[in-house]
Amino acid sequence: MSETLSPAVARPDHITDAVFYDFDMFADPAYLANPHARILDMHKSAPPIFWTPRNGGHWMFVSHAANFEASRDVEKFSSEIVPQSKIKEMMSKLPPGAPHIPQPLPINIDPPEHTAYRAPLQRAFSPKAINELKGSIRELAISLIEEMKAKGTADFVADVAEPLPVQVFLKMFGLPLERQAAYRALVKEHMENIRNHDTAAIVRRMLKLTAIMKDTILDRKANPKDDLISMLWQTRIGDRETTINDMENYCVVLFTAGLDTVVNGISLGAHHLATNPELQQQLRADPSQIPAATEEMLRRYTFTVPLRVVSKDIEFQGVNLKAGERIMLFLPGADLDAKEYPNPEVYNHKRENSVHIAFGAGPHRCLGSHLARVELQVVYEELLARLPQFSLDTSKPVSFHGGHVVGPDHVWLNW
Amino acid sequence: MKIRIDKARCVGNARCAAISETLFPLDDEGYIAVSEVDVPPGQEQLARRGARACPERIIVVEDDSQ
Ligand code: SF4
Repeated sequence: MSETLSPAVARPDHITDAVFYDFDMFADPAYLANPHARILDMHKSAPPIFWTPRNGGHWMFVSHAANFEASRDVEKFSSEIVPQSKIKEMMSKLPPGAPHIPQPLPINIDPPEHTAYRAPLQRAFSPKAINELKGSIRELAISLIEEMKAKGTADFVADVAEPLPVQVFLKMFGLPLERQAAYRALVKEHMENIRNHDTAAIVRRMLKLTAIMKDTILDRKANPKDDLISMLWQTRIGDRETTINDMENYCVVLFTAGLDTVVNGISLGAHHLATNPELQQQLRADPSQIPAATEEMLRRYTFTVPLRVVSKDIEFQGVNLKAGERIMLFLPGADLDAKEYPNPEVYNHKRENSVHIAFGAGPHRCLGSHLARVELQVVYEELLARLPQFSLDTSKPVSFHGGHVVGPDHVWLNW
Repeated sequence: MKIRIDKARCVGNARCAAISETLFPLDDEGYIAVSEVDVPPGQEQLARRGARACPERIIVVEDDSQ
């Protein structure tokens, strides 16, 4: 997709030539043509930590070392893009009876509060809990892949990658499947507007989401079932009971964090498989290599770019950062850093160091990583088992989007 | 051989347990349940792989054979 470059803002005094690099993470043409090739090129042409004047001006952490250290240092690098004290103040000024404005906790909150909000989810998304869902995730994947297979040619993104995580989400939450269309429309709206940081529009979408979920949420309080909403009602946040506002926050965070990420991850993987027939053959002949392949695809095509704010003026890895400046943890860069992974451009699921940070590092590490891994593995397994050799439909070129979640818009396959 | 784990910094990736659930037991929330493991003879290789798998790099193998 081609995008217009955002205007360059003036360069502050402390930004020296050595740390300046012009890169628009939403619209750089080479990046949108082939994101990961552009990143490999950046490792040669751009500083490991740089400031770009695009999109309001912000830092990009490209090296593995910078991403790893910053992700784990929550005191210097805050996740409270809008400070919680400010949010609380804003909320206290709302007239009585105004709707609760949901916010994606625990993503945008620092420890120690972060820990209290995350704990109930941690159990629900533990490897043990997720393993119990594996069978039903496989059923969903099989039915989507079989439906796609019958067509002979299809857009993998629209037919499999997008519907799967939405259906898994509805199932885990115990939400009625009839509402699928409403959720998918909302996901689409959310994804199309991701570049737009207009707070009012974000709040409107979040309110729409909680409105569709509210009756189910309230019903589960009175009539618990075997689903996530019922379970969350029964846990505590720190030393207090869960309220309807907390429940709405949880729904919002899982909705915004767990859908487009998986969509893009699976699509990048399917794209790699479609362009590598030998790898398809190898994995079909020995599916026990699929988990390792899943990890290497996550490393080779890491796709999320989390945001942090510098808490106080600091020197970090030789660079001066000022309080309030925004940092993009460019994880796709970290996982293609030759200092960490020799020949980073080579896909090799038997490489010596295969430990990537596609799911981040530190206390904010992706909570849904176990679920995402199961979804990715199951889709690759069923895709390889059910489709004959597949390749890209060259009549419909692949285009990519940048931003906070990088991936292809469509992946048309032939088989 | 012994393994030491900086338990307080575990973020629950469970990559260690994906290598060996018995060497690296997890609690119900998916965090590592122990801070020290005596590696039974014959499992040294597995222990090293598990330690390497940790994205937080908080698992250290103490090799007493050297
Ligand atoms: S791999 Fe590391 S961070 Fe993950 S559960 Fe094991 S010890 Fe904890």
